[in-house]
Amino acid sequence: MKKLLKRIYMALIVVLLYAPILTLVVLSFNSSKSRAKWGGFTTKWYASLFDSQEIMGALYTTLIISLLAALLATVIGTLGALGMQHMRSKTRSAFMGVTNIPMLNSEIVMGVSLMLLFIMGRVSLGFGTILIAHITFNIPYVILSVMPKLKQTSRYTYEAALDLGATPFYAFRKTILPDIMPGIFSGFLLAFTMSLDDFVVTYFTKGPGVDTLSTKIYSEVRKGIKPEIYALSTLMFLTVLILLMLINLTPSKIDEKELIKDAKFLEKYGRKRLFTKRIVMGRLLPGMLVLVLTIGGVYYGSGGSFTEDKTVVVYNWGEYIDPEVLEMFEEETGIHVIYEEFETNEIMYPKIKAGAVSYDVVCPSDYMIRKMIDNDLLQPINFDHIPNISNIGKQYMETSEQFDPGNQYSIPYCWGTVGILYNKTMVDEPITSWKILWESKYKDNILMQDSVRDAFMVGLKYQGYSLNSTNIQELQEAEQLLENQKPLVQAYVVDQVRDKMIGNEAALGVIYSGEAIYTQKENPDLEYVVPDEGSNVWIDSWVIPKDAKHVKNAELFLNFLCRPDIALMNFDYITYSTPNEAARELIEDPEIRNSQIAFPDESILERCETYSYLGPEAEEIYSQLWNQVKGS
Amino acid sequence: MKNNRRLKWLAGPYAVWAAGFIIIPLLMIVYYAFTSQDNGGFTLANFSSVFNGSTMKALGLSILLAVVSTLICLILAYPLAMILSEMSMSSTSFIVLIFILPMWMNFLLRTFAWQTLLEKNGVINTLLSLINLPPLDIINTPSAIILGMVYNFLPFMVLPIYNVLIKIDKDVINAARDLGANAVQTFVHVTLPLTVPGIISGITMVLIPSLTTFVISDLLGGGKILLIGNMIEQQFKQLNNWNVGSAMSMVLLIFVVITMVIEGKYDKDGEGTAF
Amino acid sequence: MKDKLIDLVNISKSYDGVTILDEMNLYIRENEFLTLLGPSGCGKTTTLRIMGGFENPDHGRVFFNGNDITDLPPNKRQLNTVFQKYALFPHMSIAENIAFGLKIKGKTQAYINDKIKYALKLVNLDGYENRYPGILSGGQQQRIAIARAIVNEPKVLLLDEPLGALDLKLRQSMQYELMRLKEELGITFVYVTHDQEEALTMSDTIVVMNQGYIQQIGTPESIYNEPQNAFVADFIGDSNIIDAIMIRDKQVKILGVPFDCVDVGFGSNKPVDVVIRPEDVELVKPKNGQITGRVTSLIFKGVHYEMDVEANGYSWLVHSTRAAQVGAEVGLYVEPENIQIMKKPESEDEEATAVEE
Repeated sequence: MKKLLKRIYMALIVVLLYAPILTLVVLSFNSSKSRAKWGGFTTKWYASLFDSQEIMGALYTTLIISLLAALLATVIGTLGALGMQHMRSKTRSAFMGVTNIPMLNSEIVMGVSLMLLFIMGRVSLGFGTILIAHITFNIPYVILSVMPKLKQTSRYTYEAALDLGATPFYAFRKTILPDIMPGIFSGFLLAFTMSLDDFVVTYFTKGPGVDTLSTKIYSEVRKGIKPEIYALSTLMFLTVLILLMLINLTPSKIDEKELIKDAKFLEKYGRKRLFTKRIVMGRLLPGMLVLVLTIGGVYYGSGGSFTEDKTVVVYNWGEYIDPEVLEMFEEETGIHVIYEEFETNEIMYPKIKAGAVSYDVVCPSDYMIRKMIDNDLLQPINFDHIPNISNIGKQYMETSEQFDPGNQYSIPYCWGTVGILYNKTMVDEPITSWKILWESKYKDNILMQDSVRDAFMVGLKYQGYSLNSTNIQELQEAEQLLENQKPLVQAYVVDQVRDKMIGNEAALGVIYSGEAIYTQKENPDLEYVVPDEGSNVWIDSWVIPKDAKHVKNAELFLNFLCRPDIALMNFDYITYSTPNEAARELIEDPEIRNSQIAFPDESILERCETYSYLGPEAEEIYSQLWNQVKGS
Repeated sequence: MKNNRRLKWLAGPYAVWAAGFIIIPLLMIVYYAFTSQDNGGFTLANFSSVFNGSTMKALGLSILLAVVSTLICLILAYPLAMILSEMSMSSTSFIVLIFILPMWMNFLLRTFAWQTLLEKNGVINTLLSLINLPPLDIINTPSAIILGMVYNFLPFMVLPIYNVLIKIDKDVINAARDLGANAVQTFVHVTLPLTVPGIISGITMVLIPSLTTFVISDLLGGGKILLIGNMIEQQFKQLNNWNVGSAMSMVLLIFVVITMVIEGKYDKDGEGTAF
Repeated sequence: MKDKLIDLVNISKSYDGVTILDEMNLYIRENEFLTLLGPSGCGKTTTLRIMGGFENPDHGRVFFNGNDITDLPPNKRQLNTVFQKYALFPHMSIAENIAFGLKIKGKTQAYINDKIKYALKLVNLDGYENRYPGILSGGQQQRIAIARAIVNEPKVLLLDEPLGALDLKLRQSMQYELMRLKEELGITFVYVTHDQEEALTMSDTIVVMNQGYIQQIGTPESIYNEPQNAFVADFIGDSNIIDAIMIRDKQVKILGVPFDCVDVGFGSNKPVDVVIRPEDVELVKPKNGQITGRVTSLIFKGVHYEMDVEANGYSWLVHSTRAAQVGAEVGLYVEPENIQIMKKPESEDEEATAVEE
């Protein structure tokens, strides 16, 4: 009976720990791109995984960083432990205290502190800084694994070896090293695993163009994770599972403690343990090395050979370009694209401003472009080098003048409106006003945008104010409204509105028009509307930052994007309205070519405003008020 | 070997590394916390933004959630550690199975998967409705965040307790039984007091990560629940105010120092009981 | 039946198919000092743990004062144990350690305090109440462990190699202390050891065990002087164990030479083992010896000399207060009553067969 209870308890814990893992494994076989819908069984993600330079690159970076960090930490840590063994006990406990800091310190504080150090020291964030950070948090694991073994070693055997004429190093190698080897090895494995699983410290110490799996996944979490990631995780998990099963293949149910009493069995048991150890040392370690090197060599090796001036560093919204377009560009021009993504303008801006990273082309929204111009962060674009600009519709260039007077700095890329996406089976009344987002019957069924301007736009427009208001009273009113609304809101998300609406998780969601087209395809119950009070019409445009290092390549890249066939590919992929008239002409499906969502008519657009840059003071007020909403 | 003091210089590289990448960065936080963003002069203004309403509220909520999830971890982990310690031989592979293996599936993904499990129309609610049970409505609430914390940090509670338990001489337990104590009395008077160092170590290993996480609240809180970690992340990654961010980090550092002191009191060998 | 305080009946125990105890029968009389003696792995500790209730036998029953206590948990048994490594509670002071059992039983504080004083005096550690086990020496911890057990006034004290971790001098003085305690308390001691000297010194009854079987039960004298098989003879003290042929009753042929002996009933012309203790081999002039040989080694051992004497193809171990130089030719003489005849085991199994009393 008691035994049964214990079994059940352990089973429950295992279920708790493995339910998410099982979920991920199942998702890796889901043919629907949205995690909210089961679209049938497929293995296509496993195939496309190996074609994804991006994911395999992140994997290789992760493995290389983990391996290097674990190796270096093992060397420094083992030497450190040996040295500490010979210190006066006071000095040693001071060292132990320092060693404990990374173990007990919070990850975020550690990440932040290292980031400050690197920025102060003008070290540009990248592969090297991640590596340093990982070594730093790995060393304590090694020291704490080696120390106890070192304490158990007998100094007499070492002295005996010296007595017999061995050099100190030889004596160390023959007497102490074998004793502490298990500690070193488990320290290494622990460090490797910790490195592999780290997100927080990496997140704060990474630079552009370097992504580990963790940071890649984090930026994808908000917009829906690429199914290839699930496939990769499943593969990694299975690999380790199989390795561990090989190690534990020597089944032994003999009770250790009882055995120790019976000396005659000790011998047998000892041999078995040795055997296990030999498998670990002999198979697991080389196995891992081979794994790292083959995967890396095949999929990433080709990417490492690009010279500095044959690259272009692109900073774009998540899921905002057809990956095939990037490959075509690389093929046609031989220029390597370093591609990084952001989720909101507010996340992008400080990165450009800090200048720790130099991007060549960035795709901010209208108001943000104004802010960047005002802060002298952009350089004028030489349109002589971008003949394809003629494909962009005149009206979009005119609208752009609102934030880019004289059309000097930006090239329109996508545009659209913000509106309400609703589920017809859950909302039966016609929607004409933002008011519906304050209806208490939709409590926990409302999804709001998790960005300052979009959230305040809703509040301001609902009250009939301009979405560019800087009137403190109007803003406070809007803040109060949003605060009142918060209990009704299920979640503040960015691109996840899409998946959640497809999965019938919510009735109403504030969303960009471009997303609406995709969601309707996946779930026909969804409908998009721009409320009568008006909304935001926005344009995302390409700009070249002042400190861009590869302006020529940037121009080539922008000209390429303005080609009608390329613009069409991007439209098909991201489903956001394109300002490229020539591309729109190429759309085959008339229903889409004339869609009110994709290309709304004048009457809707008349009600809409673009965001404008409000200046630092107003911005400060906005972000404080937004913090107040989020913190309420 | 002990008298060979020259060998202490082997720790040289580590000493340099620790000074450069552990100590100095922490001093940087202190430096930024006390300087102004505008002119770099000394100021206490950063702390006034820490002690305003929303940050304190976030800190309060963080402490609450961290304490609750630490307690749940303790309650779940203790029996588990006891069962594991009785299993002897085969427990090693079991520990690997439940604690080390999942780490090879990315921690963000594992946590994120709880969304799929917990959502209104998610896996758990679908299963519950199949057996006519009321739905579990905790996604985007503090409960979901607590679940995420317990899920992620449970191993850090189990391992220290387990490591202390297996070091207890079985005959000490037998002696208590022999002297007339029943199972409960033996646990209360002998086993529990002897595992206090493991419990303390487990608490610090769970409390600090729970207190300072921003990822779990981000992934399972629906963007509605801000913890102190989220506030710091915002300051550094979005609002770009490193000085206020550093001031907030310093507040967290105070908690870290407190736990280090407590931990140090119980862990006299300075070895840690976690590994 | 009355004087059987503890009675083990047909006890079997095995771990993962390895038999530790096989159908063992043993009883312990009231007020007896009984020692379980044998090499490690012989099952002596398991036997003790079954009495204490820390192990359950696979088969068989355990009776205490005629009551079946096989399924009784340790806390309900009127036995107390002194563990091999003392098993003191490290987080309690000495006084708290000793008070543990009494507090559980709900005794008054005054009674407990008296008992602590009494017990500490008994083990010669007065004034140690407020110290902690960690700072005591092995011998002191040992005595605290005994004090902790005896304050509960058990009928039986089980001691599992209690002196194993102590050095020789301390061990000897503790042996006398234990015997004194036993006298003062007037209770039954069941003592486990692998040290034959310890067993011979302290016990009323010795149970020699090997490979899960009882080899011989008897007083120290009978175990030493009349080992019933080669194992016992070899395990208890030094001895010459020699293949021989029983010619007829009271005559045995050892290494081709007929010797007179006192044993009867082994048949005639049957192979047997003979045991001759080294101190029973007398060195005499070659012509006076029953057998002659040459001294091959000589060591001074303090009380006596130890010599190896090569005679008729066997190297005899001889203890004598007189020394013969290496190379000297000597005669060996053995009194008939000092020749112990044992049946030869017919199979591997029988080598370890239980011997019923």
